[in-house]
Amino acid sequence: MKLKLLAGATLLVAASAVYAQNDPIAARRAILKGFGDATKAPAAMLKGEEKFDLAKVQTALKTYSDGAKKLPALFPDNSKTGGDTAALPKIWEDKTRFESLYAKLGQDAAANMTAIVDEASFKREFPKQLGDCKACHDDYRAKKQ
Amino acid sequence: MNVREALKSGSSQKVLAWDLPTRIFKWGLVLLVADAWISNKFGGSMPAWHKWNGYAILVLIVFRLLWGFVGGSTSRFAAFAASPSRALVYARDIFIAGRARRFLGHNPAGAYMIFALLIAVALQAIAGLYSADEDRLIIEGPLAKTISDSDVDRMSSFHASWFNVILVLAAIHIAVNLLYGFIKRDPVIQAMISGSKPRANYEDQQEARPGAPLAALACGLAAIVVVFGGIFALGGNPLR
Ligand code: HEC
Repeated sequence: MKLKLLAGATLLVAASAVYAQNDPIAARRAILKGFGDATKAPAAMLKGEEKFDLAKVQTALKTYSDGAKKLPALFPDNSKTGGDTAALPKIWEDKTRFESLYAKLGQDAAANMTAIVDEASFKREFPKQLGDCKACHDDYRAKKQ
Repeated sequence: MNVREALKSGSSQKVLAWDLPTRIFKWGLVLLVADAWISNKFGGSMPAWHKWNGYAILVLIVFRLLWGFVGGSTSRFAAFAASPSRALVYARDIFIAGRARRFLGHNPAGAYMIFALLIAVALQAIAGLYSADEDRLIIEGPLAKTISDSDVDRMSSFHASWFNVILVLAAIHIAVNLLYGFIKRDPVIQAMISGSKPRANYEDQQEARPGAPLAALACGLAAIVVVFGGIFALGGNPLR
C-alpha cells in the first residue's frame, strides 16, 4: 500500500515535471490560478465579508511559499508567446528583478506563517503580502482587454 | 490702468481675486491628484490609502460644484462660463492679435480648461469606485461589487488609461499659466496662492467678493454627505 502510494506520488511528480517542461505557460497559470483561489478567503476577511479563519490564511501563505519556489523556472525564454498568456515581454528584459519579486513573495509568506497568529496580526501583515502581488502585476502582467 | 502699467508704476495696491475656500480647493486637488498616483505606485500594501484619496477628491469636486453657485464672485460658474465663440474671440485676441485683455478671474478660454479638468478628474474618481484589480483581490472600489466582472475590467482599464488624459490637461494648464506669468506678466499663479492681484482695469470684475465662511463650511459638509451617502445609496460601503 505504502509502496503503491509512493509510486503514485512519484508518477505524479514526474508527470507534472514533464508537463511543466512541455507547457510552462499552462503550468505557471495553474499555480497562479491557485494563488488567486487561495487568496479569495483572506481577501474577503480583510473586507470584513467573511469571518477570520487562521487555517485558510495559513493555507494561502503555504500556497504562495510553495508556488514562489516553482514559478521562476516556469518563464523560460521560449514561453514569451504561443499559448494563452498574460505575461508581458518585459519579464524577459529584466529577469533578475522579476525573479527577485517571486523571492520576496516567498520570503514574506514564510515570515508571515509565523507572524500571523490572530486577526490583528492578519490585518496588519496580510495587506503587505498582497502588495507583493501588485508590485509584480503592475509591471509584468497584461491587463485584461 | 492695465496690469502691466500697474506693475511698472510699482502700484502695490492689491485686490482680492480668489477667496480662501477656492484656493484651498485648488491646491488640495493638485496634492490629491499627485497622491492618487503615488498611492497607486507605492501603496500596493495599503489599498485604503488610494481609496480614501479618491473619496477626498470626490468630496473636493462636489464642494467645488456647490461653491460654483454660492462661492466668491470669481468662483461662480455664472461669472466665468463663456460661450465657445467668446472663448475663441478671446484666444484670437491674445494669441494672434496680441491684444492685452485682462481678467481678474478665469478668462473665457481658461474657463473651458477649468471645466475640462473638473470633469476629467470627476470621471476618473467615479470610475475608480467601480474598478478593481484583475482578480478583485488586492484593491476593489466600493461599488465594484455591484457590477459584473467584465464591467469591472472595462472600468479598470478606463481608470488606468484616463489618468493620461488628466496628465495632458494638467500639462497644458500649467504651461499656459506659466506663459501668462512670464509673457503677459499677469501673475495668475501667485494670485491662486496669495488670493490677490494688482488693482487694474479688468474686464470681468474689479475686485472679488469672497464667499461666506459659513457657506464654505456648509458646502464642505454637504459634499461629504453627497459622496459617502451616494456610495452607500448605490450599494457600496466606503468605510471598509
Ligand atoms: C513576480 C511576479 C508575480 C507575483 C509576485 C505574483 N504574480 Fe500573479 N501573475 C504574474 C504573471 C506574469 C501572470 C500572468 C501569467 C501568464 O498568463 O502566463 C500572473 C497571473 C496571475 C493570475 C491569473 C492566473 C490565470 O488564471 O491565468 C492570478 C489569479 C494571480 N496572478 C494571482 C496572484 C496573487 C494572488 C499573487 C500574490 C499572492 C501573485 N499573483 C503574485 C506574476 C506575478
